[in-house]
This record gives sequence, C-alpha cells and structure tokens, in this order.
Amino acid sequence: MEKTRPSLLPGLAAVGAGAVFAVALLTAEQQWAVGALIAGAALASLAAWRFGLARAIGASVDAHEGVLNAAVIAAVLAVTAWFYEDHFPLLMMATVLLSATTCIGLTVQFGYAGMVNFAGASFYGVGAYTAAVVVKYTAVPHLLAIPLGGLAAAALGSLLILPMLRTKGHYTAVVTIAFAILMKTFLEVNDTLGGPQGMKIRNVTVFGWKPNTALEFGGVELSHYVVYVVAALALLVLAFGLTRRMERSWVGLALDTVRIDETAAACFGHDIARWKIVAFTWGNALAGMAGALYALMVGFIAPNNFTFGDSLILVSIILLGGIGNLWGAMLAAALVVILPEKFQIIQEYRFLLYAGLVMLILLFRPQGLLPRTLRAYVPGRA
Amino acid sequence: MDRMRGMAVAALAATLVLGTLPAQAKDTVHVAFIGPLSGGVAANGLGGRNSADLAVKLRNADPKAKYQYQLTVLDDECKPNVGVQVATKAATDKSVIGGVTHYCSAVAIGTVDVYHQFGMPAIVWGAVLPDITYGNDFKEISRVNGTMINQNEVAAKFMADQGFKTFAVIHDTTDYGKGHNEYFTKFAKQNGLQILGAFGVTADQQDFTAELTQIKALNPQVLFFGGLTPIGVRIRSQMDKLGMGNVQFQGTSGIVSDAYLEGLGPLAEGSLAFREGAPVDKLPGGKFFVEKYQAAGYAEPWEAYGPFAYAAMNLLLDSIEKVGPDRKKVRDELRKTRNADSIVGPITFDDHGQNTVAAITKYVAQDGKWVVWEDSEYAAGKRKLKH
Amino acid sequence: MDIGLFGQYVVNGVMLGMMYALVAVGFTLFFGVLDVIKFSHGDVLMVGTFAGLATYLGLQAAGVASPLVQVIGVTAMAVGSMALLGALIARYLVMPLRSAPPLNTLLITLMLGTVLREGVRLFYPEGANPKPFPRLLPADSIAFGSFTVRADSAILLLAGLAVIVALNLVINRTKLGLAIRAVAQDEETARCMGINFTLIVLVTFAIGSGVAAFAGVMNGLYYNEINFGMGLLLGVAGFSAAIIGGLGNIYGAILGGFLFAALQTIGAVALPFASAYKDVFAYAVVIAIMAWRPSGLIAEKTSERV
Repeated sequence: MEKTRPSLLPGLAAVGAGAVFAVALLTAEQQWAVGALIAGAALASLAAWRFGLARAIGASVDAHEGVLNAAVIAAVLAVTAWFYEDHFPLLMMATVLLSATTCIGLTVQFGYAGMVNFAGASFYGVGAYTAAVVVKYTAVPHLLAIPLGGLAAAALGSLLILPMLRTKGHYTAVVTIAFAILMKTFLEVNDTLGGPQGMKIRNVTVFGWKPNTALEFGGVELSHYVVYVVAALALLVLAFGLTRRMERSWVGLALDTVRIDETAAACFGHDIARWKIVAFTWGNALAGMAGALYALMVGFIAPNNFTFGDSLILVSIILLGGIGNLWGAMLAAALVVILPEKFQIIQEYRFLLYAGLVMLILLFRPQGLLPRTLRAYVPGRA
Repeated sequence: MDRMRGMAVAALAATLVLGTLPAQAKDTVHVAFIGPLSGGVAANGLGGRNSADLAVKLRNADPKAKYQYQLTVLDDECKPNVGVQVATKAATDKSVIGGVTHYCSAVAIGTVDVYHQFGMPAIVWGAVLPDITYGNDFKEISRVNGTMINQNEVAAKFMADQGFKTFAVIHDTTDYGKGHNEYFTKFAKQNGLQILGAFGVTADQQDFTAELTQIKALNPQVLFFGGLTPIGVRIRSQMDKLGMGNVQFQGTSGIVSDAYLEGLGPLAEGSLAFREGAPVDKLPGGKFFVEKYQAAGYAEPWEAYGPFAYAAMNLLLDSIEKVGPDRKKVRDELRKTRNADSIVGPITFDDHGQNTVAAITKYVAQDGKWVVWEDSEYAAGKRKLKH
Repeated sequence: MDIGLFGQYVVNGVMLGMMYALVAVGFTLFFGVLDVIKFSHGDVLMVGTFAGLATYLGLQAAGVASPLVQVIGVTAMAVGSMALLGALIARYLVMPLRSAPPLNTLLITLMLGTVLREGVRLFYPEGANPKPFPRLLPADSIAFGSFTVRADSAILLLAGLAVIVALNLVINRTKLGLAIRAVAQDEETARCMGINFTLIVLVTFAIGSGVAAFAGVMNGLYYNEINFGMGLLLGVAGFSAAIIGGLGNIYGAILGGFLFAALQTIGAVALPFASAYKDVFAYAVVIAIMAWRPSGLIAEKTSERV
C-alpha cells in the first residue's frame, strides 16, 4: 500500500510555490517584474506539464487531498500574514476569494446541472444590496447579513425557476439574461436602494466590534482587510467543502445524469425539476453570501458593480478554469481578478485581451485550463 | 581588497552623480489626480488632468522646489463604483501623499469616506454637490470650486428676470441631478416660478421621447436640465425631433463643455447654463495659465474646470513644500488655507474645507461658443431667447 | 390623453419597434440555418454604424456635399462591410464550433461582441466618447395639434418597412430563400438536394448582419448620436424580441420586435409608476412570457427525437 501511494511532496511543493508566487506577484510594482513573473509562471507550468511533474502533482493531490487542502488554507493565511499591513494586496486577495466562492456556485449550476446562469453578478448584487439594507435600515445583527444575503439571492432566484424549468437551451439563456438586465435597471431606478448613486455601508458592527477600523495586536497595526480575508476564506472553505461533498455523493451523480441526458435521467426515475432547483438555488445562495460579505468589506456598492458584463466575466471564468472543476474555477478567478490589476499596461485593454483570450480557448482548448477529470469513485485511485 | 575597491568606486560614482545632477538628489513625492478620462464627460476629465499635470511640471522645473513630484493619474469613468475602486487604490498606497480628485459629484460623494478612512488629503476640483464638503466632518476633504447652491440661486433669479414663468425639469437620478432638481426647485419657488413636472432619468438612457412627449403636453416655457453633457446632448436633440422648438433649454454647469457644443452643432444655439467662477480670460491668473498650457502643447482643451484642477494641485504642492510629505501634516496645513493666492483668485477654506467662490457666471451658447451672458448678443437684444 | 399625444407615442413606439424587429430578424435567420445564437449581433450593428460614420467623414473630406449621395454611401458602406463581417464570423468562429456544445457558440460570439465593442472604444479615434451622427435627412415637420411628424422619421419608417418586406420576399419567393428554408428545416436532406450548405450559411449570415447594420444607421440618423455601447442594449432587446416571438420564423421576430417596443412604451407612459421603470417592466414581461410560452409566441414546430 505504502509503495503504490504517491508521495505528498510534489503536492506540498506546488502549494508552497504557489504561495511564494502569490506574494511575489502581489508585491511586484514594476511592470517588467510583473511581466517576468507571469512569463516565468507560464513557462514553469508548461515545463511541469511537459516533464510529467504535473502528473506527479495531480497524483499527489488525489492521494493526500485532506492534507493538501489544509496546506492551501495555511498558505493563504501565510500570505495574509505577510501582507498584514498592506491594504491593497489584502483587498485583492479578499476579492479573489469572494469571486472564487461565486464561481463555485456557478459551477454547481453550470458544471454539474448544466444550467447556464448569465445573471451570476446579479445574484452577487442581490446579496450585496441585502447586506447594505440590513446594515442601513434594520436592527438585525450585521453578521447575519451574510446568510441573509444568500437567502435573498436564493429566494429571488426561485422566481426564475418556473420559466427556467419550462424552457430549453437558448430560451433558458434569455431568462437569465433578461433577469440580469432587469435587476441592474431596477437597482438604477429605485430610490430607496440609492439609485445609480449606490449605497454606502457605514458602521458595520459585529458583537460590538467594528471590523472596518484598523486593528492593533501588541503594538502591531493590522490592516482591517485582514479580517475580511479570513472571513472570505472561511466562506470559501465552507462553500468548497459542502460543494465537494455534494459532488462526490449520489446528489452529484444525479446532477451529472441530469446534465448529460435529461430524457435518460427521467427514464431512470430522477426528478429533473428537483435536481435543477437544488443546483440553481445552492449556486445563487453562494453567490449571494459572497456578495454580502463583499458589500460589508468595500462599504460602497452601486448598480454598475453588478452588470450583465460582470456576469459574462463570471461565466467565462468557469469556462477558462474548465467546466465543472472547482480548483480550475478558483485558479481562473484568481487570474482574472489579479492580472488586470497588476498589469497596468493592459489595464485599459483588459476586457479586449480577456475576451480575445476566451475566444482562443474556445477555439483551441474548449475544455479549459484544468478540465474536470472523470469521477473517481474511490479517492486516490482515479 | 576587492571589497575596498568596490567601495571606492561606489563612493566616486556617488560623488559624481551628486555633483553633476543636484536635481536628482531631491526626494520623489507621489501625488494623484483622479477624474473621468473615458466615457461621456472624458473631455472635462482630460482637461483637468492636463491642468493638474501642468502644475506638477511647472513645480518640477522650479529649482527652488524641495521635492521632485510624480503624478499618478487614475480614471474614475464618472461611475461611483469605479471611483471608489480607484480612490481605494490611491488612498491605500501610502506613497501617495494627496490627491486632486473628481469632476463628477456622483463619484465624489461616494469616495469621501474612502479618503477619510485611509487618511489621504483630497482636494475636489470640479464636483459641485454641497454634501461633498458639508455632508460630513472629514478633515481630509476640501474643495476649490463652488457648490451648486449658489449656481441655482443665480439661475432661478436670472430666469425670473428674463420673464420666464413655467418650467419642466429633467434630471439624472445620481446625487448630482437630484441635487440640482432640489436646489433649483427651491430657488424657483422663492422667485415665484412654477415647476410643472420633474422627471428622473438614468445617466445612460438613450431614448427620451416618452418623457419629452409628456413634457410637451405640460407646455412649459423652459426645460431645466440637471445632468451632464452626454444626455444633455441627447435631450436637446430629441426635443427638436418632437417639435419642441419653442421651449427654452436651460442647463447647469454640467453642460458647460465644448463637447456639448460640438455634439449639437447649430442646435446648441441659445442654450443657457450657469457655472461658478469667472471664465478663464477674466481670472486673475488666467493669462498666465493659458500661456503655460498652450506652451506645454496638450492635445485637449482645459475645459470648464481645468483652472480649478491647476489651482487645487498647486495648493497641494504648496502644502507639501511647507510641511513635508506627511499625510496628516498636509491635511492640517490644507485646512489652514486662508487667502491663498491662486489663478482662480484667493482661496479660503471654511471649517468644512469649502472654498468660497463668490461669482457665478451666466453662459449662453452663441455661434458654437459658450459666451458670458453680459457679453452676448442676447443680452444686447440682438438675439432673443425662446418665449 | 388627447389623440395627438397618443399619436406621438405610437410613432415613437413604432420607430423603436422597427429597429428591434430588424435586429431580431437576424437572430432568427442565424438560428434557422445553424441552430446557433450569434450574440455579437448587436455589436456588429454598432461597428456597422461606426463604419457608416467613417464613410460620412470620408465623403465630407472628399468634398461630396450632397446629402442624398452621402446617405446612400453611408448605408451602402455600413451594410456591405457588415455583410462581409457577418460571413467572416460565420466562417471562422461559428462553423468551426458546430460540433461543440451550443453554449460554446453563444460564449464565443458574446466574447466577439466584447472584442468589437472594446476595439471601437480603444482604437476608433476618441471612440470612448459619444459621437454625433450627421443629420442627412430633410427635417421638415408637419404638426397636427400636439402631434408632430417629421419627414426624416417618416422616411426612416418607410425604409425600415421596405427592408422587412424585401427580406420577406427574398425568403419566401426566391430560390435563395427556398435554399435557406430548406437548410433551416433539415441540413442533411438539403445537402442531398444539391444545396451548397456552407454557401447558404454564409449568405444567411451576410444578410442578417447587413440588415442589422441598416438598423444601426437608422438608429444613428434618428438619434443623431452613436456610441460604442449602443449595440449591447439593442442586441439584447433584439434577442429578447426574437425569443418571445419564437425563433421559428421571421414573423415571430417582427411580432416580437414591435411587442417589445410596445411594452417599453406602455411601461413609460401608461403604468402608474415612474417612466424609468419601463425596462424593468418590459423584461419582467419577457420572463413571464417565457414561463407561459416556453418556445415563444409563434412556436417552432418540432418534436424532440430521442
């Protein structure tokens, strides 16, 4: 047994290298440094893939999933500790973690149940606005804004369930597209929700403590974003854990059959409507919770944060990462959030380059960066 | 031995550099400019950026300056959410000592909290909403241009003097448009003018025929528009489509831009607008500013608020020169500004950081130019506003 | 409400409906021959309008001052170049993905739309700013009480109507139309009958894109202002129109176009909330229609083969 079991080392090394790379990338200021880092990373991945290192890492990850998941969490915390007082890198990290959570939600809908959601950013926005309303207008404890945001997104999504179940293919797409535009226009014209001006979220309090003020621990001043990175990480771990369990269980199997062939699934007694409702609702709830935490963190939201264009970016993150692969979605989310921020040269051209990149991927590597592997019924023996 | 030689070379190099290029020995200090560089009001943003850039360049060319200044330019796209993002970027970067920020009121009101939270001094150069300075007690925020209160006070009085009685209002639903609606309505009532109806529209709306048809049915003498250039152009041009040629078009400082005149061509003729501060050729330092701006060879004109951006940047640089590159000290120094000499006239901040700009200038579009009302052929009686 | 005012609303609504219908027809045509949604349609429209504007500026610079020649040149350039672009998109982006999941086509054309939009924003001179579009049509107006009809609006409506009628004739009365309908019904059989499948697909995409460019020029001449983002909303409105009408035939698209415009106008005028809610209302009704008639008002006649 011990002999056949792949070593833990390649996996740990990959996580460590990733953490060091993240620190270097987030610290790099000069454009040439950023460029060199990215080129280096691309070359390294290519080499790893070419010389079979990637397979070793993959095997190691499969065999030691628990340990390595913990290692990733530890790595994120270590990077957070490294930047303890630098606001901007921490803000970016938290944004990445929250986008990743949303993308996990979309993966459940699209990757597992096969329902495309072109309104991901809208559900993220519903969560964000729910948090803003909770803080501004109600006496509800502010920490509850996060689950309430998820609840609100799930509830609003349920309005779409009937048309989504009744329609097929492109007709389903139009339901979510119409919803995305409806939602943004609604937020823009509704005065109580601030209109195009958006809403400010002031004086967030959790058990009498204000997480938006700077922290001090034994004379060391921490950026208040540290709290949010940790919170976003916790949310991501929760989302990832639950979704992974679901994917591996019979629920995941049922979702797969519904996606691959509805008619056959129905013949074998699967209730298609039920599984679609489960996937759609769970996905929206995740997006809503992430949105709520985002709103608490940045303290200001406006309809323009949640446009149809942003939903498109989310869908293409899923595609870029490899449909149905959670790690792929998280990796792609990190790339899509950080690269334009760091690469000032491409700042203005980011949408252009990004759209072009997705087109190339669709033409030449439609399975994405990290395609979903076949279901491993026994972990470690795929 | 090797090490000794290395040190000797380094020392020699240092002496050479210090000896021949004294300017290089100055510490570099970062300052920021934020404005709308893309989107519908980009012309105003670019004019402001060039003006702020001019102030930095002139200071760097001044041998008496203690520091070498480097300008970071950020684009807020006139959208509150983008504004908050770039403001966070500037404010969390501790090397940026201060900023000259925002043309759009909707953006400025959203970002004041950010500057306060991270303690970056910001001088507003174009946004006119009163609440930006008066809606908070943040020491970081000050403003060199005036607010929309005086603008609308003068506007309502002027319109009453011209004999107009009935008005309809279209305003954008950002805080900018809502503010103009609020203050104009208030002063209109004081002057005995009648508001027949008010319509809120989104800032990126294309088609206004539904709203305009309703306004047409109300039959007002004047259409008061509280918003920025892009939809101003659309509304004025669609009024023409619906045969509303007899309605006088009255705008706010948001349409005082060359883009408005270019976008409409001859249709712009006779549009009215109001802006705080004198036009550049009547400013105390206007001649100096225009000469330097033209000598620097910028591609875009300075537009309505360029001189304010220049003055704001100069004020920021003066403060840094005086107290050194320290955010807290600069913040307090800015607040002490009394009768500071500038090209837009003396600047004095009240306890909210608001400069008192006395004069409001009335403009009318005449032959493709914004002409000061008193100098126009309309005031001379050669041309007539619509009645 | 007096009758003149009512007439004004109807004219406004019909004008919008005409543009939506012209965009929607394209979606229906593409879906017919290839069963795909080409989401870059709205942005192709926008690029066409900018091509028209550039033509106008070129003609101006060349000293051609006659508005009639200018309007013909602008329209011909916009329609011609977009027909070519449409065929290229079909050849190099849509057809290679035929065997991939339909969603990939949807995504690649969405991304192409973004590329076109950003391309114009970044590379057209000062493309980020709204551009004035010339007034090339006569501006005389006739007023009936509070109801004004302008010559240019009337000309645009008639031209739009002419395009729809002509398109209908092409589809229903010509050999080309017969081939398009044959390909739409059954690709295999059509091939067996000696129809050049690829050619028909390319021609269909060219026709659809050309019609969209025409709608774009119409939009420019009507509003006298264009911007790089105009295609996105027109595209989404046209897509929604095609879907609520039903993707089966072009009558559905035309019906959907006018219906969508009617919804917006009603939302702005006749309902008891602020006119700004008109799009919320229109899209909410679209979602409701989808729940009620899942494959549109004029449904495709198909049955799923298992």
